[in-house]
Order: sequence, then C-alpha cells, then structure tokens
Amino acid sequence: MSPRNRPKTDPPRSASAGPPSIRKASKADSKDIVELIVRLKRLNNEFDPLFGVVPDAKQRAEKYLASSFESSGTLLLVATSGGRVIGVVRAEIEERLFYRPAREGHITEMYILPEHRRARLGQELLRTTIRELTKKGAEIIVADLPVRNEIGVSFYTKRGFRRLTETFAQMPQ
Amino acid sequence: MKEAPEGDDAKKALSYSKFYAGKVGVAPKVPVRSLQDFGIWYTPGVAAVSHAIAGDTELSFELTGRWNSVAIITDGSRVLGLGNIGPEGALPVMEGKALIYKYLGGVDAFPLPVRARDQEQIISLVKALEPSFGGINLEDIESPKCFEILDRLRGELSIPVWHDDQQGTAGVSIAGLFNALELTGRKLRGSRIVLFGSGAANLATARLLMGAGADPKDLIMLDSRGILHPERDDIDQLMVKNRWKYELAIKTNGDRVKGGLKEALTGADALIAAAGVGPDLIKKSEIAAMNKRAIAFLLANPVPEMMPQEAVKAGAEIVATGRSDFPNQVNNSLLFPAIFRGALDVRARTITDSMVIAAARELARHAKDKGLSKTHILPTMVEWKVYPEVAATVGSQAVKEGHARRRASKKELLDAATEMIKHSRRAMDALRESGVILEPPE
Repeated sequence: MSPRNRPKTDPPRSASAGPPSIRKASKADSKDIVELIVRLKRLNNEFDPLFGVVPDAKQRAEKYLASSFESSGTLLLVATSGGRVIGVVRAEIEERLFYRPAREGHITEMYILPEHRRARLGQELLRTTIRELTKKGAEIIVADLPVRNEIGVSFYTKRGFRRLTETFAQMPQ
Repeated sequence: MKEAPEGDDAKKALSYSKFYAGKVGVAPKVPVRSLQDFGIWYTPGVAAVSHAIAGDTELSFELTGRWNSVAIITDGSRVLGLGNIGPEGALPVMEGKALIYKYLGGVDAFPLPVRARDQEQIISLVKALEPSFGGINLEDIESPKCFEILDRLRGELSIPVWHDDQQGTAGVSIAGLFNALELTGRKLRGSRIVLFGSGAANLATARLLMGAGADPKDLIMLDSRGILHPERDDIDQLMVKNRWKYELAIKTNGDRVKGGLKEALTGADALIAAAGVGPDLIKKSEIAAMNKRAIAFLLANPVPEMMPQEAVKAGAEIVATGRSDFPNQVNNSLLFPAIFRGALDVRARTITDSMVIAAARELARHAKDKGLSKTHILPTMVEWKVYPEVAATVGSQAVKEGHARRRASKKELLDAATEMIKHSRRAMDALRESGVILEPPE
C-alpha cells in the first residue's frame, strides 16, 4: 500500500546515507556541533546527577564552540554522513606543569549520534584525533569523562587507555 | 492503590474465592491400591529412582512430573490494570492462570508469586527453581525489568522461559494481524504498521513482526513522548535505561516520521495499540488519517484505547480488542497453554521467537480455515482443537531448530497433545460429576 497524505519529512540521514567521513570542523558546522555537545552533556547527566545540565546549555555551547574556533591549540573534528554532522571531537593541547611527558593532547568532548555507533566510527574518529594531536606535538593523549559514563569508560578502556587521575566529589552537608 | 473493580464477575469472583479457597490443587497421578504402595511411590522404592536421576539428571524429565510442570513466577509489580500490588495480591491471578494452563493445555502449572527486591533476586530465584520444572512462565512483571529478566533467563536456563505479557500478547497480535492483512489484500512486507505504546507487549510484537519478515523501516513505534526515532532528544537516555526500546528507535521508522499519533497514522495500514486504558487515547481523526481498509487493534483492558465502534465509524475496516464481548479478541489464552503443551511434549530447552511465529501462523491458519471475515480473524477459546494443533506446530518447530530433548513427528505430537488436553477436560468432567468439585453456591 502506498502511503497517502504522508507529510513531508526530512530526508533520511540513516547509516545508509553513504559511508561517514571525518574532517576538520568549519564554522558552518556550528549548529550541528552545538546540538551534539548538548546531547553529550545530557548523556553524562543520565549516568550521574552531579552533572545536572544547565537550562541554557545550548547558548553556552555556542560560545564555547565559537571560542574554540578562535583558539589555535584547539582541535575540532567532525564525522559526516550524507552531508550531516553525525559525530564530533573537541581536543586541546595543554602543557603539564610538573610532569613528563609534558605536552598533552586532551580530548574534552567526543560524541557520536546513537544510530551511527557500533560501526567503528568512534575508533576511526579517535585515531584521526590522535594523529592530529600528535602533529601538534602531543606526547600523551588523555580524555576527560565522568567515571559513571559507562559508554565512554568502556570505549577508552577497550582502546588501551587507562585511568590516570580521579576526581572525588561530595556535596557539602 | 486503585479502586476495587466492580460488576457481576467481580462479585462472583470474591464470593466463589471464599467458597473454594483456591482454584487449583495437587491431584495424584498414580493409584494408591493400599498403603503398601507407598513403598513404591515413596521410600524405600523411590530411592532407586532418585539414584538413577542423580546419575543422569536428564532422567528427571522422564521419571518425574518435571516434564509437564511450569512455574508461574511474578513479583506482583504490574498486575492486570491494578499496578504494583505485591506477590500476595498477585496470587489469585496466578491461580487463574494455572487453571487455564491445566484445562486448555493439560499443563501442571504452579502459582509462585515471590517476594523479590529487584531483578537480580528474581533471576536467582528462578535459577534456583529450575531443577523442579519443565518450563517457566513469567507474569505481570513491570517493564523494562521484565526484558532483562527474560533475556537473562532465556540465556542461562535449559528449560523454556516465557513472559506471557511479552510473547503471549505479541504472538496472538501477529496471528490476528496476519489474517487482517490478508483480508485487506496486503502483505506483511510493505505494510506500514504503527505500534502505539512501547511496553512489554508492543516491543515484543515489533520483534516478532521483524522475525516474521516485516521491514523494520515500515514500523513506527510510539511511547508516551511520541514517535520513536533515532534523533529524539532522549535517545541517549533510552540507551541507558531501556535498551530494548532504544534498539527499535534506531531500527524502525525509516522515513523519520516525527511527532505524535496523527503523524504516525497518516498513511498507515495497521495500528496495534497497547498503550493504556481508554477510551479516549485515540481520536477518530487519527484513525481517519490511515490508509483505506485500515486495521486497528485496540488491546488495552478493560477499556480499549478507543471504543471499537468509534474506530469503525472513523474508517477502520478490521478492529480487534482484548475483550471477549467484542469480535476479534486478542486473547493470550489462545496461545500460552498450547505453546507450553508443545514445548513440554518435546522437553524443549527454550521457546524461540521463530517457535512463537510458527504458533501464530498456525493460529491464523485455523481461523482462515473457518473463513475469514471482518469479525473473524482469530479463533476463540471454545475451539479447543486449536490447542493441540498449535502445540504440535511448536513442538515440531523445536525439533527442527534443535531445541528438543525428545524427537517426535508432528503426527505423534498432535496425538500426544490431543490426548493430554482431552484428559484434562475429562478429568474436569469426572471431578464435577463425582462431586469432588462442587458447583458454586448461588
């Protein structure tokens, strides 16, 4: 039966829209990237109430992203499929004041839309990130994420990362 | 707690329950010709049987009643429309289920509501019970806890585990849908099917439909927040909290339809609603947006999501509900006694989705043989011969798939199931005629 009166919908952007590709982000991607960053923060909140997301997260993400584009030490990569942004990485180069190796490639955000997970895109994105950070002189790669984010913890653990620092938290009585 | 149900059946149920004080009991299967016989049925003779089974535990399926025994397990967390009423509150329902198992399927089912804090405790309780039973029927356990419990137990036990609120309802729904599609000149593949409600029943229905050949892209599911699709804001939350629903959100809805029921039903061929008590959950205009010759299953009990006559007025051609006082009743009792009859007769290790789909096709065929019409897409409980036939189908499918401990031909299975079920009905007649079971007081 052919559907009748079916309302026009956005073109499907499923995994079938062609193999994803990875490139450096441009300002034109900003709207999509902001959405992914907010989704990541909300995901963290699913695992831990101490990551309650602020109501104006979107506006803050826009500013955060705008300043990232201005900073030369910041790396922004996107994965795209069918012309849409489906994944993002933000990382920056930092100097470790007291320790060696000194030059740190620090992954601050990484997010892939759920339907594009489990297709090795994360691995590909991570590999590209490490390559780009190494080009910028990184001697050690670190990733920051809530310890209760099981998805993230399992992702990095499977790829040979180990716990480096722990942040302990408590609510003051 | 919700208000107490009213009506004639409710009144009778209360007074009869007081009179009979329990709906099933344990009846002997062996003769006691004299007290000497206890030396055979019990010690010292029985030690030889125990010794044999201890040497080969599979013999417990041959030398004891294990092969025909099913435990009906619930924690009472989602009982009928009553909600979480606890294990004691669930007991009368499980007794009723045991009675249906016995009468329609010849199965010895034991009502076993348990006090359990969480799913891990239910899982470990059921695992501990495995040696005594040939099968497990999970009942009235809230979602999504029930999915985890079913998946884990199906993987870890070597007897069939069945969750009637998932597989039973889904199995009968797809049986009715097969016939409704045929009657309206459709094929399963290519038909747009909307599943309104994403609880235990509809998640299982979606899975069975895909197993039966439906294209996941043609399915649209809705929960209380609207249409499921991969871009929904709460998609990560679903992944963490309900991975079963999440998987379907990713797989279904190939056109990325967004919004609510109206958007989902626009251009749809069939609706399966298992969303909650009606009668105002679905609007006439929403049904009217469906394709011509629309199919609407409105499965909430006791009040369907919309009254069936309203759905017909809005343009639905075939309407089914969960109720016996309307045509086309989607009734779990059509399936579970037969499924277990068939599974137990071959000492099956599991009940797979393909066994359920085979059972649904057999159920559908039975209705079709009698002639399909708008008001006849499913058999009814009075057609008792459906049960052995579905049982034989399930049993031989288990054999085919390599899940049977005992091989048998379909003919042998049909004969065995017919005999078991007839025996149950004869026993009921005999017990009533002899006055062992009394007629209820007026």
